[in-house]
Amino acid sequence: MISHSLPPSLILLIGGALLPLVPRRARTSIFLLFSAAAMVGVTRLSYGQGLSFDFLDYEVVLCQVDQLSWVFGLIFSLITLIGGIYGFHVRDSGELVASLVYAAGALGVTFAGDFLSLLFFWELMALGSVVLIWKRASTASQASGWRYLYVHITGGSLLLIGIVMRLQTAGTIGITALTDQAAAGNWFILLGVAVNAAIPPLHAWLPDSYPKATVTGSVFLSAFTTKSAVYLLLRLFPGWEILVYFGVMMALYGVVYAVLANDIRGILAYHIVSQVGYMVAGAGIGTDLAINGAAAHAFSHILYKSLLFMGAGAVIYATGRSKLTELGGIGRMMWLSFGLYMVGAFSISGFPLFNGFISKAIVVSAADKAGYSGAYFLLMLAAVGTFLHTGLKLPYFTWGSSYSGARIERVVPTNMFLGMAIGGALCLGFGIVPGVLYGWLPYEMHFKPYTMGHIVESLQLLLFTFVGFLMLRRQLGGEKKIVLDTDWFYRYPAGWLRWAVVEGVDCLFGAFEHGIGRAVHRIGLLAANPIEVLIYRQTPSRSFDPNSYRLGIGGSIALALVAVVILAVWGMWTLG
Amino acid sequence: MRDSGRLAIIITTLVLIALQYAGLDPHHAHWWDYIPGFWALFGFAGCWLIVVASKKLGKAIIQQREDYYDKP
Repeated sequence: MISHSLPPSLILLIGGALLPLVPRRARTSIFLLFSAAAMVGVTRLSYGQGLSFDFLDYEVVLCQVDQLSWVFGLIFSLITLIGGIYGFHVRDSGELVASLVYAAGALGVTFAGDFLSLLFFWELMALGSVVLIWKRASTASQASGWRYLYVHITGGSLLLIGIVMRLQTAGTIGITALTDQAAAGNWFILLGVAVNAAIPPLHAWLPDSYPKATVTGSVFLSAFTTKSAVYLLLRLFPGWEILVYFGVMMALYGVVYAVLANDIRGILAYHIVSQVGYMVAGAGIGTDLAINGAAAHAFSHILYKSLLFMGAGAVIYATGRSKLTELGGIGRMMWLSFGLYMVGAFSISGFPLFNGFISKAIVVSAADKAGYSGAYFLLMLAAVGTFLHTGLKLPYFTWGSSYSGARIERVVPTNMFLGMAIGGALCLGFGIVPGVLYGWLPYEMHFKPYTMGHIVESLQLLLFTFVGFLMLRRQLGGEKKIVLDTDWFYRYPAGWLRWAVVEGVDCLFGAFEHGIGRAVHRIGLLAANPIEVLIYRQTPSRSFDPNSYRLGIGGSIALALVAVVILAVWGMWTLG
Repeated sequence: MRDSGRLAIIITTLVLIALQYAGLDPHHAHWWDYIPGFWALFGFAGCWLIVVASKKLGKAIIQQREDYYDKP
């Protein structure tokens, strides 16, 4: 019975509280134990409402389950477990606790039945995730983590504003589909969710921070924040047409930037933006097929994208290098991570038999069936870009191409390969037997991915992307550059802002202090010898001595005589 | 590229075009489904378009030196 079982998010939070108390070597075991328990908890949930209590006159529902939240809950708990295996060698309790808190936040958002608990878990996600960026412990990751936190605090505040406005107009905090496109509160909620869904121009925090996170942390980052936002878009905003246009735009936006990015996790991060575009578009189309497609694609995406991050992470772990310009030719040394990475790459590219194929096709078909022909073609174009970068460019310039001199400085632990192997097996498994995932989706599914038409279409597209790559590959190598994105608008003026509120103020205070000092000095001199300063206009050579300015005795007598004469004259004048 | 590679690509393409018509479902087909190798052309043209357009954008403004934010 659901009413007697603990919400999965609380299971992870308890795990997070216990973890620092056990010996170092047992910490990751506790991590795995509790993430496995959370996953079992999710599978045992039954549809309906559980664990609710009253808080400030409102009913807070910590666990509300239906098909949509269940399928997201399942994949979130599954990836926590896989990420835990991949990071089994991690001993840093801060990073492990942060991962558990982050996962708890994602599960809490997924099963929240009201906006108050949603907001609580939303902020919990931001707190947990930023630690995974900071734990990389480089100067760049510190700064990037702060930017990440500022953006997410802003996003959370937008969400809060929307929730309060909705409470005033609708009078409820229950989570249901928001249909009123004229209510300002709903738009604030959409903005808050759009920050986490990384919808451009609100996306720049993602490619800024994910490449700078820890190797294990970026696996969790790639899974939770954007996909829990996708869940909310499907839950709250199905059929909001604006999402179709933004979704298609972001699918291509990520592709363009992935051409230019040099950091391997930067390329993967831009392809999160691109892939989430399919899901956002699915939410916007809003038909049963589109919602199913977006949910299925989120499920597949979490599996293959975490696998890609794990593969790239293994390279970074082993070589200490993360840029295309510094990598290349390490295929012989790291063939296993190459092979497992390629499973993820074939999945994201939508090769038949891999799980990207069975989910991406649903969204694209839904766009076509709903009459969005433009969206249909542009999403197919984004698929070309996906294979081009994630499937061809990144692996070619990392493992293939000419040898870069990169060496294996640390041996990749077996548990990392095990995590990747499990992820890869699931990518293939769900791809070969699509019925399993389709059976979990919110609406009944009649979609057949493996028709001759679909397969031929995909293979033609992919084969000629490959041909195009062969011709263009000389142009596609990494460049020692960074890419400017919309974070420019807060990073570049930050210098001016820092000048205005820190360095400028410092200057002002400095000038003032200097001025006061000079004034005090002058007053001191003036007090010491006013005659020399005021009359002779020179720095006093000695202190004031009245005697040195007195007249001689002759002068005094003359003065007295003049006075006597004046007095005498005046006396005679008045008396006479 | 070696000749054998070229030959493999050409043969695969021909097979895929043949299968395109074998798998054609006249009830749900669009006009573009009748063009031989439509998605092959789309993929090839799309590939060029993405690379050329992105590189132009990159040169114009997006790509900057690595210390861009450190030394304004």
